[in-house]
Amino acid sequence: MGNIVVLVKASLNPEIVRQNPDGTFDIDYTPLKISDVDRNALEEAARLRQVFGGKVYSVTVLTWGPLRAREKDLRLAVQEALAKVADEAFVVADESIIPGDYTVTANVIAAVIKKMGLNPSLILAGEASIDESTYQIPGRVAAKLGLPYVGYVKRIREVRGDRLVVERDLEDYIEVLEVPLPAVLSVTQEVNEPRPPTLIQIRMASRKPIHMLTLKDLGLDVKRQRSILDMRVVTVSRKQVLIEEASMEKAALKLVEYLEKEGVLRF
Amino acid sequence: MGNVIVVSQRPSDAGELVGLARSIGDPVIVAFQDSAERVEELLSYGYKVYRVKSSRPEVLAKAISTLYNELKPKLIVGPNTRNVKDAMAWVAGLHDIHMAPDVAGVRVEPDGIVYKRGFLSERVTMTVKAPYPAIILVNPRVAEPAPREGVGELIELNVGDTMVRVLEVKAKELSGVNLEAAEVIVGVGRGFKAKEDLSMAFELAKLLGGQVGGTRPIAADLKWLPEDAWIGISGKRVAPKLYIAIGISGAPQHMSGVSGSKVIVAVNKDKSAPIFKQADYGVVADLYKFIPALIDVLKRRRGST
Ligand SMILES: Cc1cc2nc3c(=O)[nH]c(=O)nc-3n(C[C@H](O)[C@H](O)[C@H](O)COP(=O)(O)OP(=O)(O)OC[C@H]3O[C@@H](n4cnc5c(N)ncnc54)[C@H](O)[C@@H]3O)c2cc1C
Ligand SMILES: Nc1ncnc2c1ncn2[C@@H]1O[C@H](COP(=O)(O)O)[C@@H](O)[C@H]1O
Repeated sequence: MGNIVVLVKASLNPEIVRQNPDGTFDIDYTPLKISDVDRNALEEAARLRQVFGGKVYSVTVLTWGPLRAREKDLRLAVQEALAKVADEAFVVADESIIPGDYTVTANVIAAVIKKMGLNPSLILAGEASIDESTYQIPGRVAAKLGLPYVGYVKRIREVRGDRLVVERDLEDYIEVLEVPLPAVLSVTQEVNEPRPPTLIQIRMASRKPIHMLTLKDLGLDVKRQRSILDMRVVTVSRKQVLIEEASMEKAALKLVEYLEKEGVLRF
Repeated sequence: MGNVIVVSQRPSDAGELVGLARSIGDPVIVAFQDSAERVEELLSYGYKVYRVKSSRPEVLAKAISTLYNELKPKLIVGPNTRNVKDAMAWVAGLHDIHMAPDVAGVRVEPDGIVYKRGFLSERVTMTVKAPYPAIILVNPRVAEPAPREGVGELIELNVGDTMVRVLEVKAKELSGVNLEAAEVIVGVGRGFKAKEDLSMAFELAKLLGGQVGGTRPIAADLKWLPEDAWIGISGKRVAPKLYIAIGISGAPQHMSGVSGSKVIVAVNKDKSAPIFKQADYGVVADLYKFIPALIDVLKRRRGST
């Protein structure tokens, strides 16, 4: 029935946020990792690939530099996509689009899909990336390609000919929808339980092609809209007192004593 | 007229959004998911109200896009609900305009808008400048509510069919707990092995005069708690005096929702769990042993005073 494209982002890792001495965010030294929910999208692609019967491609646009320092993290993220399900990976790494800009990223993704002739029946993405979390790239890509878009998909129920039946998890209610293909879907973390790729899959992945592209290859000229004026690390200063006791009663008494001193327990 | 489009989903969000829009320009309001009273309220701000008779993102997207072409606004403002986020992503893509959700502060400049938003699960604050036109979806309490002293005009906005077809709509189960107002919250995570075991958390919460909330997997995946008890960046933001996190690892997406707590307690059996670095008091223990002991101690204290 056709090809599947999965949008995979190499995101800054929120668990390892580095800070400069002046309190600003040390972006260059914060590592990148595959964005968590994109693993759910890859898992869904693996589940659907039999039914679709075509190829699976991953598309990644690097949004954080410096380029040379990101090579290893970027490769790891892309290799996970290849190991898990993708037959080929498309990566756009170009200094002129770093740091990323939402309009630019969406236009670049759409250009890769069109110009590389990926011809997808389905485009899968995560609901939100773990760094920017703007919930917008998938919807933008759909608009650019003129395709229907369904966000917050918590279940892909069935493939009905050239249509999908999906459940969409909105603010106050859940909808069961019929979506004509080709379409763009963003999935939530609840859509499945992603399994890490097996060792054999990881070994096979090293033989699969990674196409590195620049804007020149895509014949694109883009204009960035946002300028980032400042990025500041929010410091958390918690007391971090550890209570380790063999006796649970002792531990409980200690905790209650601390909380009374804090004035947050009332008897 | 109409250089700022205000998208309103709930009665509670309209006042502040109109307030913000008025400080920037000349608002028109787009309303959906509305009852008769709600339209009355929206009209009382004194601006044109365009009514869309569906809250589905693609319907809203088409409606706003039509209005965008007609009014050429410099800004669209709205709330951070899933429906609005989804609709606006599509509108932003179609018209190639900048969009930012979860905006925590804005400043208007002649050549663009300057805003602040959380980045990396709110561990970093980012300040951005973007040119007009732009879309910003703002958090509650970013602006002063507008006065309700006008008489607006109601206009029906009809859009045609969408490519997506609705087969069924299911309501979500909500408990109606108001975690935002709770002084004590007991938070539960995947350290609990069965739904029945949450009774310990409920008992503890009752003893402390508090409520029970939980992590996203507990509420959204396992459905052991209703969705309005889901705490974190994609759920509720809470600010109790005391937050007791039990069997929670401390993922940044959860912790950003509780950063406003006065005191954070963590109970986890893994000493290297990241939550201990983000807690005031950390108890390294098996929750199945520690929570009953804590309940005992609290009951005894209760009894003796
Ligand atoms: C875009 C996005 C948005 C998200 N939004 C949210 C959100 O809003 N809210 C949210 O909560 N999460 C959110 N998440 C998910 C988040 O990343 C974590 O996956 C989640 O918070 C983990 O939940 P947990 O702590 O319950 O489970 P786990 O991470 O599995 O942690 C369980 C903990 O329990 C401990 N434990 C196990 N057994 C015991 C025992 N017997 N006694 C004591 N301790 C025990 C373990 O040591 C472990 O630390 C989001 C993720 C993404 C990518
Ligand atoms: N730079 C990118 N490259 C590839 N996919 C992306 C990129 N940015 C966002 N996406 C996709 O869009 C989803 C939502 O991201 P965001 O809009 O940043 O919250 C992610 O989960 C990815 O699937």
